[in-house]
Amino acid sequence: MAAVLPSSTDPAIAGRAARDSRANRLDGHRLMPYALVLPATLYLLVFQGYPLLRELMLSFTSTSLLSPADGQWVGLQNYADLWRDPDFHRVIFTTLLYTAACVASAIGLGLGSALLLDAPFRGRGIARALVTIPWAAPPVAVALIFIWIYNAQYGVFGHTLRFFGIEAGQENWLDSMQHAMPAVLITTIWQIFPFASVVLLAALQGVPSELREAAVMDGADRLSVFKAVVWPTIRPSVALLALFSTIWSLRRFDLIWLLTQGGPVGSTNTLVIDLYRRAFVNHHLGQAAAVGMVGVVIALAVTLVYFRYTARAEKQGAR
Amino acid sequence: MSAAASAPMPAMSMRHALRMLAVLALLGAAAFPIYWMLVTSLTPSEALFGDRPQMLPSFSRLPVYGEVFAIKPVATWLLNSAWVAIGTTVLSIGLAVFPAYALSRFRFGGKGAIGFGLFATQMLPEAMLVVPLYAIFSQLSLLNTLSGLILANTAFTVPVITWILKGAIDGVPIEVEEAARIDGCSRIGIVLQVVVPLIAPTLAAAAVISFFHGWNEYVFAQTLITEERLHTASVGLAGFIGELSTPLDAVMAVGVMYTLPAVAFYLVVQRHVVSGMTAGSVKG
Repeated sequence: MAAVLPSSTDPAIAGRAARDSRANRLDGHRLMPYALVLPATLYLLVFQGYPLLRELMLSFTSTSLLSPADGQWVGLQNYADLWRDPDFHRVIFTTLLYTAACVASAIGLGLGSALLLDAPFRGRGIARALVTIPWAAPPVAVALIFIWIYNAQYGVFGHTLRFFGIEAGQENWLDSMQHAMPAVLITTIWQIFPFASVVLLAALQGVPSELREAAVMDGADRLSVFKAVVWPTIRPSVALLALFSTIWSLRRFDLIWLLTQGGPVGSTNTLVIDLYRRAFVNHHLGQAAAVGMVGVVIALAVTLVYFRYTARAEKQGAR
Repeated sequence: MSAAASAPMPAMSMRHALRMLAVLALLGAAAFPIYWMLVTSLTPSEALFGDRPQMLPSFSRLPVYGEVFAIKPVATWLLNSAWVAIGTTVLSIGLAVFPAYALSRFRFGGKGAIGFGLFATQMLPEAMLVVPLYAIFSQLSLLNTLSGLILANTAFTVPVITWILKGAIDGVPIEVEEAARIDGCSRIGIVLQVVVPLIAPTLAAAAVISFFHGWNEYVFAQTLITEERLHTASVGLAGFIGELSTPLDAVMAVGVMYTLPAVAFYLVVQRHVVSGMTAGSVKG
């Protein structure tokens, strides 16, 4: 990287004037920031931008995985097919359901655990570290252990449900139309809530303790203290978490794919799973690309909503 | 703080006990699946498929951890994963430090576009880029190479890390740099010799995040690599799903060997990760 800026690394300079005119030629130059961002930008253009462009082009063709060279330009045909495909409508619904449930639960559970771990108690440091374990576990290993936990006959999940006399403990949740989605959600939320917990725990450190104490002195109950003092401080973090967990849930692949492959009968078939299926099971690359583009548009829409929301919140805060 | 907790009133202690109970339940839920993987790996087969699950590990079963190496090329898998993870880490940090500095310290045309571009990469699912990346990789002869995998993974870590590092650099007072400038340091020199040491904790966080990304990654490792000797642990482990010939305790032993280093490594550095992540994310 330094090779881009040969003059600025030259150490044999004496005197301020010489330094200003020569060694720092690029330092003071308006091109300096561009030189700094160039390598990473080029890299991302090659490995993210260009593939995205190719995928976009692919979505206007009838390319098949079996004979990738024979793709025909079909215009918006793939998109029109998706628009009319009731299975794809279901995919959208499943994706939104999965995403909403993930985001709401991760933030809810994250906030609950953050509040729990914010109060002082002995061993708090260890507890804070331990609660992040699920986040550190590799998704493939998580899928593997949860498949065993959900095993109908021998899994500890079914054993526990049956112990409490719950009927649903008789079946393998991952193989059941009604229960596959809850099972996938339990696994996902287990894995992602620590992230919310960690971020919110840090946000809680920003709550002014004098304000909190003053509110308690005034006889405010816990809920109103939370609403009046705690919530306004952590709200930006909650919004940011909502954005990130939405985007991450929209694109989550490995966990769902390994748990159910989108089944049974499409009950956990989210957009990314559907895209992978269309490409590698049905060999229809063009259609898969169109599905991917729909996903990108949804993510973009979510992001725009977030930025509008934060812009408005900032304006209100400024007043 | 602890002084107040050590002299509680009766009502306080009741509340405290409930709180402790909730904390224990939370930790139990968080740790259980990992614990269960460990227990399953150390349970004899007949007990695994018995009427009641065995809740405690039988440490006499420990030799299974040696036996799995004879059943599957576990050592190769783990080494490949380690190589991919380390490569991803080094490349990600190398690529992210300077743009992070530029985004933090300069105002320049196109800065907003670059910032948005970095963010937008978060929206692209890996699964969507598999097909075009496969085509590009076959042109560049990068298929079936671990370096190719590193290149693909780094494309997903650089944006996040740039953002996190920018957050940290925002917190470094500009005066520190000005002092170094007066001493005749070049801009690159300032970044490497002044700024980087000051953001070391965040750098550690960034390293951990990219290491994990490389260690955990599955989709690319599954599709861009077909040669068995180049399989990573994620692909090797995923291959056990639906496969019945390998005993379950052996499978779980591999799972533990793949998970435990990650979790242990994380626990050692988690303080830095947490502060780094939040420095980057909370400030936005």
